[in-house]
Amino acid sequence: MTARDAVGYVILGLGVACEVVAVLGIVAMRDIFDRLHYAGPATLGALMVAAAVWIYQGPSQIAVEAAVVALIVLVASPAMAHATARAARISERGDWRPQPEEGIEVEEP
Amino acid sequence: MREWHIAAAILVAALMPCGWVCLRRSFAEGVVAVQVAGTVGAVALLVLAEAERREPFGSLAIVLAALSFAGTLIFLRFLERMR
Repeated sequence: MTARDAVGYVILGLGVACEVVAVLGIVAMRDIFDRLHYAGPATLGALMVAAAVWIYQGPSQIAVEAAVVALIVLVASPAMAHATARAARISERGDWRPQPEEGIEVEEP
Repeated sequence: MREWHIAAAILVAALMPCGWVCLRRSFAEGVVAVQVAGTVGAVALLVLAEAERREPFGSLAIVLAALSFAGTLIFLRFLERMR
C-alpha cells in the first residue's frame, strides 16, 4: 500500500463516517428543523468520498463522475435545506414569515 | 474484500435508518430522510462502482443525485399544501 492509497483510505473512512453521523442525526433528532441540520454532514461526506476516489484513481472517468456527484450535492443540498424549512413552516403555520404571536421583532425595510 | 466494498456495505446499511424515519415519523420528517438518503445512496453507488472497478456505473450515481434533488422538490410542493 502506497502513501497515496493510505491517504485515500483515510479520507474515504472520514467520508463514510460523516454519512453515518448524518443518518444517526436524522434518526435521533426531535423535529424536522433539528433533523435538517444533518443534511450538512451528508454533503461533507459526499465531498470526502469524491476526494478519496480522485486520490485513489487519479484523473479517470470515475474520478470525473465523483466530482460531478460532489458538485451536484454541494449545489443542491443547501437549496434543498432552505426549501424544506420553508415548506415545513408553511405547512405548520400557513406562512413562512414570522407571525405576531411568535414575538419575533422584524425591522421593516 | 477490499476497503471499498466495506465502505459500500456501510453506506447501504446507512439507508435503512432513513427508511425507518420515512415509515414511522411524519411526512415532513420523512422528506428530510429521503433528502439525506438520496445523498447517501448516490455516494454508495459511486463507491460500489469503484469497488467493482466498473467506471461506467458511476453514471448511476450522477443520475440518482440529480433525480433525488428533483424528486424531493416535488415532495416539498405536496408538503406546502398539506395543512
